[in-house]
Amino acid sequence: MYIPGYYEFVNPGKILSGKYALENISTEFKLFGSSRVMILSDKVLEKLGQVQILSDALISGGVKVVEIYTDIPADSSIEVVNKIAELYRKANADSIVALGGGSVIDTAKGLRMLISQGGTDILKFVGAEVLPYAKHVPFAAVPTTSGTGSEATAVAVIKDNGRKVKMEFISQFLLPDLAVIDERFTTSMPAKVTAMTGLDALTHAIESYSCLQKNPVSQCYARSAIELIKDNLITCIESPNDRKARLAMANGSLLAGSAFSNSMVGIVHAIGHSLGGVCSLPHGLAMAILLPHCMRFNLDKCRDDYTEILKMFVTPEEFVAVPASQRAEKCIEVVTAFAHSAAEKAGLSLKLGDNKINRDDFNEVAQRAINDGALIVNPKAAGLEDVLAILNAAY
Amino acid sequence: MNRLSLFRKINNKFKSLVAKIVMLVLYRAIKVLAREDSRIMNEFLTWKDGLTVALEASPDGTAIYMQKYGDKLKRIKACSNVDIRITFRSVDAAFLVLTGQMGVARAYAEHRFMLNGDICQTMSLVRCIDIAESYLFPRLLTKRILRKVEKKEFSTLRVYRKIFVGV
Repeated sequence: MYIPGYYEFVNPGKILSGKYALENISTEFKLFGSSRVMILSDKVLEKLGQVQILSDALISGGVKVVEIYTDIPADSSIEVVNKIAELYRKANADSIVALGGGSVIDTAKGLRMLISQGGTDILKFVGAEVLPYAKHVPFAAVPTTSGTGSEATAVAVIKDNGRKVKMEFISQFLLPDLAVIDERFTTSMPAKVTAMTGLDALTHAIESYSCLQKNPVSQCYARSAIELIKDNLITCIESPNDRKARLAMANGSLLAGSAFSNSMVGIVHAIGHSLGGVCSLPHGLAMAILLPHCMRFNLDKCRDDYTEILKMFVTPEEFVAVPASQRAEKCIEVVTAFAHSAAEKAGLSLKLGDNKINRDDFNEVAQRAINDGALIVNPKAAGLEDVLAILNAAY
Repeated sequence: MNRLSLFRKINNKFKSLVAKIVMLVLYRAIKVLAREDSRIMNEFLTWKDGLTVALEASPDGTAIYMQKYGDKLKRIKACSNVDIRITFRSVDAAFLVLTGQMGVARAYAEHRFMLNGDICQTMSLVRCIDIAESYLFPRLLTKRILRKVEKKEFSTLRVYRKIFVGV
């Protein structure tokens, strides 16, 4: 097992996972001494009645829901966070529950940061590990997709609309106190979203297992995540109401989130973020398309890690049947086949060309990708030409 | 009780001094290479005019401040409001990086420094430091600490001559 010269690991908050997990949030909040909750979610979940389910669970448990904000866009922004902070203060709330995907949870992280630190603008807290500990604001994150792992990460990505850039905030004080996985919220995802978010979680696990910041604890989390995703993603796509498989996937996503929060992600995310920014390609789909190509790019630096990952995908008999020198290549082959199988069952194509991506945008995508923070921990240095070669191969 | 041992005091002073000298050399190297090396020149062009950078060997420790001014990089007085602030978490961490025992990417992965400011903007600065290090440190060392050793466009001797003599 790899032991770096030095590493740090921040555990995720308390995990509440399974049946009636939502109903336990109020008792946890009471232990924190809070009783006036603000709920953050989005319009779709409100329409589906899921915000009401959460609100009912909280009120039944004896805490007050003093404000509900559901007007959160797909890309969370500084302006939205600043606006919600005003409402939070006006309602005299003392805790936050975020229900949704990555954008809602990242918005809640931004809100909590602003309330905790004081002030009216979160832009002054941009950066890595510079946020001081301040007032504690109890915060529970309830994910509705099994992909971002945001409920277990110390990272928030929030857009600065003024400058049209996504700002990254990294601090252990961004971690939610509670990561709540309730099986009621796991079965409503359509097949395409299930496949995209699931492959996003797989990418988190594989990148965190093999990037520069990996450590023995993050690799344990990543290993468990890979095994859960490998065993359950296809079932979730084929049988969307299989609650056991859905819960396993949600746990896989959480574990992958915690893994990458501590070891970071690499080139797949660097290029994926840029494809999202320039071409509006959904993040999970970008991950699924790029993962095999980026694994091939990193192969010479990641042979040992890929060999280990192969063990997680195949039986011991299949593993020993592959010559030792070919196991890393076989790993890429197996991961590629898995991603294609999931995509095919969900009706997705894993080619950039089939997803309305224009080659003319590649230069801008590559230029943005080399300035993405994720590239610094990629095991292999990548320049403009390398990124362009990956994009062309994925076309 | 709350007294630093003599050994630790000397150790800290020595490492602070070395860090200060190497940070100055690094600043001078980037300043020189921004006019001589095509890759750093290109990176430098993408920096906004007036961009300020602080490099701090430890919190409240020795530091240098620089600013892009037109097509040049210049040193400025200490200021609290900078665009990018890289602060090593201890002078020991700064010593590891500045004496070529550890690359910037590895230092980031090991949480050796804190970053205040836009991470995207900092990536360009990191690339400049990597290229500058491939001139300043011997190849034996750069092969160990850099993920990719960039080709030199001219000799190390020329860079050192320009840093110290100015011609």
